[in-house]
Amino acid sequence: MIQTQTLRDPRGEVAPSGRAGRGQDIIGARISMREVTKKYGAFVAADRISLDVEPGEFITLLGPSGSGKTTLLNLLAGFQRIDGGEVLIDGKSITHVPTHRRGFGMVFQSYALFPNMTVAQNVAFPMRMAGLDRAASDRRVAETLEMMRLSEHAAKTPSEMSGGQQQRVAIARAIVMRPRVVLMDEPLSALDRRLRESIQIELRELHQTIGSTILFVTHDQSEALTMSDRIAVLDKGHIIQVDRPLEIYRHPKSRFVAGFVGESNLIEAEVLERRGDIATLRSKAGHVFQAGSRNVPSIGKVTVLIRPERMALHDSPQPGTAPATVTSALFMGETLRIEAAMEGGETLLIRCPDTAARELPAPGSKIHVGWGAQDCWVLA
Amino acid sequence: MTAAPLSGTAAPRPRGAWLKSPALLLVPAVLFLAAIYVMPLIDLGRVSVAADPWWSHIARVFSVPLYWESLLRTMKIALTVACLCALFGYPTALLIQRSRGSVQAMIATAVILPYFIAILIRTYAWMVLLGRNGPINKTAIWLGIYDEPLALLFNRGSVLMGMTAVLMPLMVLSIYSSLSRLDQNLIRAALASGAGPLAVFWRVLLPLTLPGIGAGFLLVFVSALGFFITPTLLGGPGDQMFAMHITQQADSITGEGFLQALAVVLLVITLVVVGIAGRLMGFEFIWGGGKLSEVAETPAKSKRAAAGPTRRSARMLVADMAGWPILRLLGRMPADTGKWTVRILGGFVLCTLILPILVVIVISFSKASYLTFPPPGWSLQWYEKFFSDSNWMSAFWNSLGIAALSSVMAVALGATAAIGIVRSEIRYKSAVMLLLVSPMIVPPVVLGLSLYSLFLHLNLVGTYFGLAAAHAIGGIPIVIVIVAASLQAVDRQLEQSAAVHGASVLTVFRTVTLPAIAPGLAAAVFFAFLHSFDELVLSLFLSSPRMKTLPLMLWADINYQLNPVLAVVSTLEVVLVVGGIFLARPVFGRSRAAH
Repeated sequence: MIQTQTLRDPRGEVAPSGRAGRGQDIIGARISMREVTKKYGAFVAADRISLDVEPGEFITLLGPSGSGKTTLLNLLAGFQRIDGGEVLIDGKSITHVPTHRRGFGMVFQSYALFPNMTVAQNVAFPMRMAGLDRAASDRRVAETLEMMRLSEHAAKTPSEMSGGQQQRVAIARAIVMRPRVVLMDEPLSALDRRLRESIQIELRELHQTIGSTILFVTHDQSEALTMSDRIAVLDKGHIIQVDRPLEIYRHPKSRFVAGFVGESNLIEAEVLERRGDIATLRSKAGHVFQAGSRNVPSIGKVTVLIRPERMALHDSPQPGTAPATVTSALFMGETLRIEAAMEGGETLLIRCPDTAARELPAPGSKIHVGWGAQDCWVLA
Repeated sequence: MTAAPLSGTAAPRPRGAWLKSPALLLVPAVLFLAAIYVMPLIDLGRVSVAADPWWSHIARVFSVPLYWESLLRTMKIALTVACLCALFGYPTALLIQRSRGSVQAMIATAVILPYFIAILIRTYAWMVLLGRNGPINKTAIWLGIYDEPLALLFNRGSVLMGMTAVLMPLMVLSIYSSLSRLDQNLIRAALASGAGPLAVFWRVLLPLTLPGIGAGFLLVFVSALGFFITPTLLGGPGDQMFAMHITQQADSITGEGFLQALAVVLLVITLVVVGIAGRLMGFEFIWGGGKLSEVAETPAKSKRAAAGPTRRSARMLVADMAGWPILRLLGRMPADTGKWTVRILGGFVLCTLILPILVVIVISFSKASYLTFPPPGWSLQWYEKFFSDSNWMSAFWNSLGIAALSSVMAVALGATAAIGIVRSEIRYKSAVMLLLVSPMIVPPVVLGLSLYSLFLHLNLVGTYFGLAAAHAIGGIPIVIVIVAASLQAVDRQLEQSAAVHGASVLTVFRTVTLPAIAPGLAAAVFFAFLHSFDELVLSLFLSSPRMKTLPLMLWADINYQLNPVLAVVSTLEVVLVVGGIFLARPVFGRSRAAH
């Protein structure tokens, strides 16, 4: 994903963002998971998971609780023993390397700052453990605190700081050694929304600056979409799909991914005819529409995904629209959220921007819903 | 106490509103303790200085070598025992914390079980274990380590060993409670930051559990200062501890005043130690962790914060200078060294806690008429003897009756006081709490002596009611701590929601609060009962030859003849405690889950 805006790094140089255009050296390591397996008794938390993470990549493990994402992170950190398969860092297996020799940085949801140490001592901790000399360590700590805008808090204890500040200290501690790999276990989940969004942006920028490979675990799909170079969606110990956020959102591989990432309308339909990438489909309710999707089979039943914001709302019938009855309509701020029942019983979720031209439709009123062929994605 | 009419909320406080203040619930317990605990201690102080000049008795304590040498010895022994407990208790607490599931439950039980068994019985078990024909001598000879049984008993070593073993659970539980409150991610964060297991221990685990170690250390030290039973039974002539002088002097009725002076010296030393410790780390250590401490904690916290950074950095510097080179050296050892150290030391401690009890149980089924291990044959003769001996049986029923009465008193007074403490908003709450739990730290010998003159005066010596009341002094703090902890775990929003939906104050208490604290109350009843059932020292002062309790019979028999009937009584006590813990399991489970 090539982003168009530019980000300013702390030295004041303007560097193009996005992995492809970054001027910074990439210090991140390549992480290769090969059939990684972890069992708790009969429960398989990670089932032969294979995943390759590029050097310097920001990859998010996304999934509901119990999907195995935290297990995978714990295996990488070395908190738990791997039951099968192996993890390679730049081609070398780390199975027998204890946690403290792996040289990763890690950020926890609970911050996990040492309450008996000051902010500066917390951040200096990894350097002291590495046995670096005090002068060099002090300089790097000051630099890192500066980077996280924490310099004035250096002498405070964690308990004297707010949650957001504490998490920034934890991030500073994780990156002070400029590790090849930084693991983040739902680091933003304990923060409120506003703070979460600002730290999301900060983390993104930080990633551009230090160039470590970042493995980020979250159950929050919007966070994953915003921050990641790539997302790996997990469910029940398996990786379902690994792709760029845009691909995950637009072209999910399965019903699970479509449902877990973003809101979705899933319509059961039958293929009537297919010409190239354009297929003519008929929904169960009898509505005939066209879908432009690369993976439509030429015959049989399919499930079609249409995102709510791709639905168009009309007051009168147009070519290709279907009539529907509004069952609920909510004003959400920037969008209207409308649920409508199609003839034949299917319920559609529609999101449309709040414009001066449209009033909130009353429940029970008749509307006409349409979508273009390009707005459909057929699930495999 | 009925629900106030709705209109009453806006109106000025109706007359008699103060009658509804929860603070009133504190009154019965405070009055009870004032009359039967504070007043006698004040009287004790008065008698000790009723001389001319007033300090002559106290001066004598410090001028007669017999006494002040014993005082120094007592301090030395208490300090050694506290150090030993910390040294061996820490790995044991770590072992509990690191194990999982049923293994953890078993290890925890092995620590908790002895905690609830009478000190007298555990000391007796050590006498059996270390005896001439005891298992240790027998095993050593069988292994060929030495040929003749050694005199393992009645020396300084056996005193230290016995006292350490007896007080160990206190230390382990104190350290464990502070370990279990640690965020496990702190350890992971330290590991991820490149700290090896030893560095994690030195820089994270140890500093963060220091309060737990401190609390355990003080509890052990203070208890050891006033220890009487264990050194009397396990020590030789050279191991006289200070509390023992008080009982001996009480027997040989020396001049009125000097005896009291001895007790006052012991009491003052104890209070000074507790006072200094309380100033440094908050008085919560007495009742185990900061659970009740919202009120008391605020000033202590701000004080600590004010002392903040400089002291912290100084501590870090010391940690760096002193510990680092050693850790570097130790770090060269194999990676599993730490793990195995914990397992071996912890395992050793568990053995010293459980083995004596097991040996006593085995002995109780012995055929021999003297103590020998392994028993030459099996029989139930000692059980028969116990249950057919009218002396033993009457002592047993006496104990049962007194303990029942005492636990009723302690729970009635203690539970109401606990509600008062948790729910009222009075000033000096922490001072009141301190008064209510202070009987836990007053040496029983001192308490017994002070009560003796009061009881003589009131003709209560050797009565059911007198002994039950005396035992309730120690029972009340136990009840308060348990009930207050379970009260604080009650979600106040539950009570508020019941009130909003129309329940009166009493109905709220009956339908919401009471069910929620019921397990805690049940546990409180049991532990107050056990406290009285096991009590020996107060009973030594306050019973008459006509009315003996079970611990008194045991005490007399241990000093007179060591026979397996004692093992029978011990076994029955173990059964009682195991049964109680089994019944109280839900409470423990809940309190552990709350951490």
